[in-house]
Amino acid sequence: MAMTSTAERATAATGREPSDAVVHVRSRRFGTFDVPRERILHFSQGLIGFPSCRRYVILEHRQGSPFKWMLSIDNPELGFAVASPYELVADYCPPIELAARLLATDPTEVALFVIVTIPPDPTRMTVNLMAPVAVDLRTNTARQIILDDPRFPSSYALLSQQPAVASQI
Amino acid sequence: MLVLTRKIGEMIRIGDEVTVQVLAVRGGQVRLGLDAPPDVRIFREEIFRVIEEHNARARLPDPESLADAAVIWKEHANGNDKHS
Repeated sequence: MAMTSTAERATAATGREPSDAVVHVRSRRFGTFDVPRERILHFSQGLIGFPSCRRYVILEHRQGSPFKWMLSIDNPELGFAVASPYELVADYCPPIELAARLLATDPTEVALFVIVTIPPDPTRMTVNLMAPVAVDLRTNTARQIILDDPRFPSSYALLSQQPAVASQI
Repeated sequence: MLVLTRKIGEMIRIGDEVTVQVLAVRGGQVRLGLDAPPDVRIFREEIFRVIEEHNARARLPDPESLADAAVIWKEHANGNDKHS
């Protein structure tokens, strides 16, 4: 890893096991907090278009919200709203087998998130079904997979439950 | 840019584990066969661009808009429950 984090230096100084360690995050948007190492998602290739940000953490949004924040630890000013597609999209059946194969894990260990886009008019919010984030729950290895299949549009409007019209995105 | 000329059936190797083979050339189209380990992403360029643009647009939604969206979604979901 190119960057030695504060937590890694602290571990070296105190001789504690890395499993105890936390990573210290300081974000203008989200404040300052510690993330336990076991909660860090590792994207070996980053998100598409953001290859240098490889570590993220999922934070709760607020009570009753279907959304979560996926915050970059490498750049704490970078974050995305994500959600479980099963809560938001009726009849969503993603190819979990494919996701498991790409992560080299068992299908029962795969968690899936979709990235949410909130336009100025939030009633036109969409999720990206074409490129969900797949997480191996055993290792917290994660990857944005691309499903090149018309059943999985990249802009799926949540309120109308259909692919968004391009002019409205 | 490296430019290579290949005949049908011939291959190019990229690194140790990626191969590209020219399978057919017909009209203005070239058919390629690619072999790579599963951690190497291979997509048509335009697909990659679409996702890149979506990610850039989805980046850091305004917190108030996201809070509004959560409320809108909840009302929408409750409304659907009542109707069903």
